Amino acid sequence: MFKKILVANRGEIALRILRSAQELGIRVVTIYEETDREALHTMHADEAVCIGPGPRKDYLNIDKIIRVALNSGCEAIHPGYGFLAENPAFPEECTKAGLAFIGPPPEVIKNLGSKVIARKIMTDAGIPVIPGTSILSEGTEGEKEALKFAAEYGFPIMIKAVAGGGGRGIRMVEDEKSLLEGLKRSRSEAKMAFGNDQIYLEKTLANPRHVEVQVLADQFGNVVHMGTRNCSIQRRHQKLIEIAPANLPQRMKKKICDTAITAAIASKYESAGTVEFLIDEDDNFYFLEVNTRIQVEHTVTEMITGIDLIREQFKIASHQPLSIRQDDIVERGTAIELRINAEDPKNNFLASPGKIQVYISPGGHGIRLDGAVYQGYEIPRYYDSMLVKLTVYGFNWLEAVDRLRRALNNFVILGVNTTIPYFQQIVNDPDFINQRFDTSYIDTHPHLLDYVEEERDMDKIAKLIAEINAYKENPYIY
Amino acid sequence: MSKTNLITPKMSSEDILGILRETPGYFLTNNERDVSQSDFKNRILPQTTLKVAPYRDETGYFAFEISGGASIHVDILKKQIDPFEKLRLVRRAMPNTLLQTVCRGANLFGYRHYPKNVIRFTVRQFTKYIDVWRVYDFLNHVPNMIPVFEEVKKAKKILMPCICFSTGPEHTDEFYVKKVGEILDVTGKDIILGIKNHSGLGSPKRIGQLVHSIVKAYPDLIIQYHGHNTDGNDLGRMCEAVMAGAKICEVSDHGFGGVYSQAPALTLIQVLNDYGYKAPGIKIQPLLDCSDILRRERRYYEQFESPFKGFDPTVRRHKMTGGAAGSSFEQAEKIGLLDRFHEIFDEIAKVLKELGNFWATTPGSQILWTTAVSNVLHGRYERPSDDLKNLILGRYGPFPFYDPQEWICQKVLEYQRTDRKKWHDIIATEGGLRTPKDVDIEAKRSQFEKELGEVVDDEKLCLYLQYPYDTLSYFRFTKEYGKTWLLPPDVWFRKGGFKEGECISFQDYEGKTHKIEFISTRREGNKVLTSLLVDHNFQTFTTELRDNLVSR
Repeated sequence: MFKKILVANRGEIALRILRSAQELGIRVVTIYEETDREALHTMHADEAVCIGPGPRKDYLNIDKIIRVALNSGCEAIHPGYGFLAENPAFPEECTKAGLAFIGPPPEVIKNLGSKVIARKIMTDAGIPVIPGTSILSEGTEGEKEALKFAAEYGFPIMIKAVAGGGGRGIRMVEDEKSLLEGLKRSRSEAKMAFGNDQIYLEKTLANPRHVEVQVLADQFGNVVHMGTRNCSIQRRHQKLIEIAPANLPQRMKKKICDTAITAAIASKYESAGTVEFLIDEDDNFYFLEVNTRIQVEHTVTEMITGIDLIREQFKIASHQPLSIRQDDIVERGTAIELRINAEDPKNNFLASPGKIQVYISPGGHGIRLDGAVYQGYEIPRYYDSMLVKLTVYGFNWLEAVDRLRRALNNFVILGVNTTIPYFQQIVNDPDFINQRFDTSYIDTHPHLLDYVEEERDMDKIAKLIAEINAYKENPYIY
Repeated sequence: MSKTNLITPKMSSEDILGILRETPGYFLTNNERDVSQSDFKNRILPQTTLKVAPYRDETGYFAFEISGGASIHVDILKKQIDPFEKLRLVRRAMPNTLLQTVCRGANLFGYRHYPKNVIRFTVRQFTKYIDVWRVYDFLNHVPNMIPVFEEVKKAKKILMPCICFSTGPEHTDEFYVKKVGEILDVTGKDIILGIKNHSGLGSPKRIGQLVHSIVKAYPDLIIQYHGHNTDGNDLGRMCEAVMAGAKICEVSDHGFGGVYSQAPALTLIQVLNDYGYKAPGIKIQPLLDCSDILRRERRYYEQFESPFKGFDPTVRRHKMTGGAAGSSFEQAEKIGLLDRFHEIFDEIAKVLKELGNFWATTPGSQILWTTAVSNVLHGRYERPSDDLKNLILGRYGPFPFYDPQEWICQKVLEYQRTDRKKWHDIIATEGGLRTPKDVDIEAKRSQFEKELGEVVDDEKLCLYLQYPYDTLSYFRFTKEYGKTWLLPPDVWFRKGGFKEGECISFQDYEGKTHKIEFISTRREGNKVLTSLLVDHNFQTFTTELRDNLVSR
């Protein structure tokens, strides 16, 4: 096992990785940009190294990060999610520098990062994929290919960036005109976001469910799955709430999990990964993509299986065979995870940076918090707006919903707008409580935004006390 | 707390009246509303009321007056509590005691006649909480009270119509017995008749005679006596009233009762006990406990007590109501007339006589006061107020005994008239009781909702119909500052700010404890930055000082 590693990330995932490492006795070096100097991950690591002025660019600087890892005597690097996690150049450079990369090999990232290559791998392995094109040619030729596909499969159609991910580079079009306009826009957006303007088309499924399977694969050909997750509740293709298990019929669950293992084997996968599927209204499932990283929502799987995925990643990266067999993995209960962000849901979920004046978190049985903030922390405007990831566990679905509601109600975060009131609306929504949701849920429930955010009574009263103090008498009574 | 009170809010009004008729002895009503109004400028805070509520509930009072008069307006104006919320709180804290209000008939809880639909709407809102309705008209004009009577009866609550009492050659037993008859003609016999001796006038003998005359004329009538201790003789009058047949007396707590409100319950109980009159169901220990607490609370309200300590036997002459007498010293001081105070009180006595020797209670007491002050400052009736004009025009009702002399009518009614109309023409064409036209209540609701920016329920609307501007300000205040009535009096009335390290602790509506600790105070120009630990959470509040908010 490694003795010292570097975490090439920030925020809650840096802390998450750090915790598992500390449990294994591994020393951890974290990195930070100047603009992120007061972040929590810099305070909890064994060592913290500033890698540049930032913002954002230094966390993406492979050379600098590898240099820090080498200088501080690290043996491996964990990329977390985002930043360099799915950049195949990063594991390549790590390998060159003699560092282990705690994640899949670069060629796996490369292949699965290309949506088109990934679809081919899966098709060759007999896995159903959503009808789609290969990479579209440039210019009018590409337009012709797109129109031909539209004529064959009909609208709506998804335009997707080959290098896309995390909901970026995706556009749905309803007619020929928007298809042709969308091709240009998507190319330009893909170029901006991923440095690669290749795009392709996929038929759009009507209100599908998004289900994914967590897999673990070692370097010795052992692959296990850790059950399903339902990530259908999304806003603009960004997951908002994730649930484990996905509550599928037993036979279907087995089929989809077996398919995920087939996908992992076909792609020569190593480490922890997620095979994503869409399920249509007739319960047909289609391969969507493989996420070659630890995902935000991995906590729900950990809650229902009891297995520490990061710990397993460490073992795999240090050439150990999987310590668990498929039969060892038992799912129990339901877990729900959501991301509490500093955003104003009523203002199009606009980021709400600022100072956290009050931070009180819930606790008790079945509640897990993966946080990145503290009271008095000034949220920098340069990074993502996640404050804390809340994961709850319940013996069954309804118990988990009750616990989630209680946990949300017990949160007190003042100073910035948060997504808490929006989630409070969701946990009280009958459709959510009765598990009636698919990927159209957010769009079809606009009333969830109809809430009034009340200032806490005690804070209002404290305001008057401050005025009595300032005026040296109560200005409202004489 | 005990549930053995003889009378509880769960009983029907018929049953309660039955118990009053059949139970030997006398009952007591604790009138904190009047104690607060007469001795502490209406400032007793809900936190004090709630602190002693369990003891008062256990004492076994017939009723507890906590609403009505000026208190409703002052609740929203100076105490920042919704009068309905106050009633809900008191009801919860005193589940075994009837709650009582005092209502000024057509003037409701204000100072002018309201449209009938507003009166009925308001009474309907308050009957949800108020069990006993003490209703009066300052001219003893019974028709002014009829809409309130009807709504109280409709709600099956206890109606207590009052005769206002005063002294003078016209104020005979015959007059008052006739007035009681007028009331009974309207209400029927299932009422409690209130004697409202708002100024604490007459000797004990005089009150005894009055009660005796009423009992003689209406032997089954339940009589309640409400007096004031302005001249120090409330106790004697109450004793005589009880011995002559009054069934209920209004009292204060000895820890609180002062000069201008009622005499203490315990003193009355002790005296009447010697005369062989018992107060059934009254428990002494909670009465003592209550006053022990109030004695400690009283220091917070000291600033609101009249600067003139001691009794005022001259009330027999100026006849000002308990509440007005207590606050008149302060009002005189405010306008720089403290040294001419006796002149004003002489003038009040003179004006009262000239205007028909009516009853110097709200709104008549305010008219008397402003007229007397104006007469002293500007010459007699040289600058009459609109309210005085309305009084002389008979807009509040007819003068009960005699009309003002012609020269007064001329001076008042012809003042600032540009049409050269003579006073007798003015009375002929513009005089007489005029009930304001009904208002479009729903239109008012829409207007208020627009101004406040939120949905307005009937209770809020009811307050808005009576005091539009102040109600709007109050609800805007609560939006900003929340339930500030939770604050204890030592915080609410604090002068000089708070020390670093000082800790405030209080309970919220659910009884949960909250703590606010002072960390630091920093001044930057006209801004004050106050850092607090609010329930252990650090917060800094910035107050931008505004000159117009507080005068210093």
